[in-house]
Amino acid sequence: MAAPMELYCWKGDYGLPSVDVDCLTVLAYAKFAGAPLKVHKITNPWRSPTGTLPALRTKEEGSLSQPSKIIIQLRKQKYNADYDLSAKEGADTLAFVSLLEEKLLPALIYTQWVDAKNYVDVTRRWYAENTSFPLNFLLPGRMHSRQMERLRLIRGDAVLEPEEQLEKELYQDALECMTLLSQRLGSHKFFFGDSPSSLDAYVFGHLVPLLKIKLPNAKLQQHLNSLENLTQFCSNILLLYFPSDSREAQSRKAPVHTDGGGDFNNEPHKRRNQILSVLFAVAAMLGYAVLSGIVTIQSSRSELGEPQREDRDEHDDEEEEE
Amino acid sequence: MGTVHARSLDPLPMKGPELGVQADDLDVGDAEYEPQQEVLENKDVVVQRVHIDGLGRTKEDFLTYEIADVFRAKNLIDVMKKSHDARQRLLRLGIFRQVEVIIDTSHGEDALPNGLDITFDVKEFRRLTGSYNTMVGNNEGSMVLGLKLPNVFGRAEKLTFQFSYGTKETSYGLSFFKPQAGRFERNFSVNLYKVTGQFPWSSLRETDRGISTEFSFPIWKTNHTLKWEGVWRELGCLARTASFAVREESGHSLKSSLSHAMVIDTRNSPILPKKGALLKINQELAGYTGGDARFLKEDFEIQLNRRLFWDSVLSASLWGGLLLPFGDKPTSIADRFYLGGPTSVRGFSMYSIGPQSEGDYLGGEVYWAGGLHLYTPLPFRPGRGGFGDLFRTHFFLNAGNLCNLNYGEGPRAHLSRLAECVRWSYGAGIVLRLGNIARLELNYCIPMGVQSGDRICDGVQFGAGIRFL
Amino acid sequence: MSLAAEAFVSQIAAAEPWPENAILYQPLREDQILLSDCASSLAVQAYLRMLGLPVRVQCRANAEYMSPSGKVPFIHVGNQVVSELGPIVQFTRAKGHSLSDGLDDVQRAEMKAYMELVNNMLLTAELYIQWCDENTAAEITRPRYSSPYSWPLNHILAYQKQWEVRRKMSAIGWAGKTLEQVYEDVSQCCQALSQRLGTQPFFFNKQPTELDALVFGHLFTILTTRLTTDELSEKIKSYSNLLSFCRRIEQTYFESQDRDSQLGASDYSKGPSLM
Repeated sequence: MAAPMELYCWKGDYGLPSVDVDCLTVLAYAKFAGAPLKVHKITNPWRSPTGTLPALRTKEEGSLSQPSKIIIQLRKQKYNADYDLSAKEGADTLAFVSLLEEKLLPALIYTQWVDAKNYVDVTRRWYAENTSFPLNFLLPGRMHSRQMERLRLIRGDAVLEPEEQLEKELYQDALECMTLLSQRLGSHKFFFGDSPSSLDAYVFGHLVPLLKIKLPNAKLQQHLNSLENLTQFCSNILLLYFPSDSREAQSRKAPVHTDGGGDFNNEPHKRRNQILSVLFAVAAMLGYAVLSGIVTIQSSRSELGEPQREDRDEHDDEEEEE
Repeated sequence: MGTVHARSLDPLPMKGPELGVQADDLDVGDAEYEPQQEVLENKDVVVQRVHIDGLGRTKEDFLTYEIADVFRAKNLIDVMKKSHDARQRLLRLGIFRQVEVIIDTSHGEDALPNGLDITFDVKEFRRLTGSYNTMVGNNEGSMVLGLKLPNVFGRAEKLTFQFSYGTKETSYGLSFFKPQAGRFERNFSVNLYKVTGQFPWSSLRETDRGISTEFSFPIWKTNHTLKWEGVWRELGCLARTASFAVREESGHSLKSSLSHAMVIDTRNSPILPKKGALLKINQELAGYTGGDARFLKEDFEIQLNRRLFWDSVLSASLWGGLLLPFGDKPTSIADRFYLGGPTSVRGFSMYSIGPQSEGDYLGGEVYWAGGLHLYTPLPFRPGRGGFGDLFRTHFFLNAGNLCNLNYGEGPRAHLSRLAECVRWSYGAGIVLRLGNIARLELNYCIPMGVQSGDRICDGVQFGAGIRFL
Repeated sequence: MSLAAEAFVSQIAAAEPWPENAILYQPLREDQILLSDCASSLAVQAYLRMLGLPVRVQCRANAEYMSPSGKVPFIHVGNQVVSELGPIVQFTRAKGHSLSDGLDDVQRAEMKAYMELVNNMLLTAELYIQWCDENTAAEITRPRYSSPYSWPLNHILAYQKQWEVRRKMSAIGWAGKTLEQVYEDVSQCCQALSQRLGTQPFFFNKQPTELDALVFGHLFTILTTRLTTDELSEKIKSYSNLLSFCRRIEQTYFESQDRDSQLGASDYSKGPSLM
């Protein structure tokens, strides 16, 4: 257990430690296993050591990027949340993780990135607002096409069109998956007994974005909200393991409500921006006027030697700098 | 700027009686009009020089064939006629935008008193011309970019490229054409293309990527074309509700075929001809040069036109075809013949006659279709001499039949099957001619002899196209 | 299809009983079919046999393109075409035949999860070994895949498919794996299955379910298919309860019902049966 490992993640929002499914999974597992990680929350995937997020940088092994690889690495470092699981429970973990990846993940990608209204209103806006210039023009579009391509390849279709039939199939699978998870969870606190394991991390990572990120087209969210034990499960983990993030969300709600007015909720600096831009425009006009001679700046030098010069200055159109 | 100086092929000594007309008076500006014909008819002339002005990249040796004939002119009328012909020949090469002829008396030391100098003033096409269109239709929009390079290497070779980018599909075509020097009718071309088509009557989608080379040459009065074509065909269902028979045809196949076509066309115009006849015979042999498809396909087209009283024209046409598969593989839906629609047997929906399965038409391996038309000018002849001449009324009688070859019954059985259950229709309508290539029709049709499974379009039917029955 | 239309179609499907002339389509058995397709086809055949529904197997070179979803196998029942095991299970359930009705909720959740485990790990591993391992691809997969077509179409289609599969592998994160890691994953998957099966005759005690059909399809095909190395089948052979499971299903549902091997998986491999 040498120097602490560094984890690079997407920044968090909406009361979550991160907005990305894989990042949430890794963060949750690290908390469950008690791994001391130095977490960097960034918004520029190019700054991560592997070029994608999440990324774990270790001294010995270099950098790893997929959640499964990161979890394996953490286990190797003896941070193992699955220590107490029986062989059968280990097998169940593999099975349910596969269920999540095959049935729930495609629908998640669809609802966040492919569904037009959700993408434009929420996802693209969040990425554009939270990434720095000039990336905020390039990144959302790039991620969008990458996710579309990923969805297309996972399904094995020749061409992917955001149409009703596709949406129905994906959502049906996802709803069924969530129902099955709920049935498996039953009334337990975690999936295997009283302490959380890697399966809990995966389920948390996949479900909590649905719970917390409000989307206009919210069919998946409605179904999730109807499954009480799963919502309880997610809020539980948030409260127990990520208390600071949920508190942040609470405190952020207050100033939003007291602001009042429609636009200003979303753009608190709008008035300031307006004034600044007007000032800038006026300054630019004045500067142009002075420089091109439309307006002369009279330098009033009350020196005895040059009264005529001053007179002449007043009538001149050309500027004479002294 | 180049010029072609050519001497006369065999110098003719001056002969014939002296006329009172001086050489200067022979300055004729344009070969199109011929004043003072009586005076000039008997005057012998000698063409001494022919110039071609305005050549850029065109090679001179290529053009000598077109203008060689001018030297043989004996008198002035002949000169004017032959130079007019030479002008037409230069224009048909497709490399000049404009050709003007100037006939002048010869000047210079070796000028004969009855010698003539002919100058062709030509303007070449630009090296590269492009076009850009956008098209919208049928739930799809596309932009089409075209590039043309006429006269690429100086001998009337032409390279064209067309690219169409649509919301649903993209297609492109590249084609290279080269005529033989001196004999423009003999030419060869190489094409590379990708086209996609959607055929809702069969619920079929087809994508073809192919390459073809063809040679054309005239023999006596006929025009022959030999072609080799290699096509990668991809078929798919257009909708989930496509019938299983069409679903069975989905997939990839390769067709490599040799074909030969012969055309004799004595009509005065390809659209609404007034006289003349057309005979077209086409055969295609696929499979012996590679590929998966193996068949022999024959089809022919005959059309006869004859002018009757009062500007009306009687036209009779007959089409037929046969597709014989070799080996035990069945024929592909993309090779079979289709019948019906506003361009073939009118009164029936597009290609909706014959064998079908669950509403998808599968086409047939043998067919025939015939039509009898009477074209008359519009009643009361409105717009005569102008716009009204583009229209015709026509009365028609169409008939046809289509079936598959199910072996074991012999040709006689198939012939009798084609002869029974004939679909036919009659009616009347208006035809509008579009340029020299296409025509529009609006007809009132009454289909008869309808068999179960056919889809009819009785009443008013609109059609647009190039080739009509 | 809208929800109402699909409900209507399900009703129609339910209204008609299973016909005698149902046909299952798969690629050509002798020369063309690949390991992954063969496994999927065998799983569907096993499932239908467990239900006691008759189906005839027909081989077509263009089965993959005929299928509405692009994956084999697919069945043509009446005038409906359904492809892949999942939709076929739903289709038969609409007709009133089901193997998993006796399971409770937790068991059903587990069954679905384990089916996804097989799809996610075993099927993906099969695809990886076939297309991403250059040896196997060059010696076995590409020649077989392109056998029904003539030159140059055969090369074009084989390389196109290989490229597509490789892109899918990188989309799901398998591109960086080595062959050893893939074998390791297969081992892990088999271990999980073996754990779950334990000493029971089927995964959910006495009655077979679609999970049994799916596992049988994949394991039997891997065991009876000869690839460039035997490493894959060795991984499975180390779990004896899985071997006896496969043998049991083969004996109960395949050998007893007809002598001529409908299994077909063995045709391009050594030996017609296990061991």
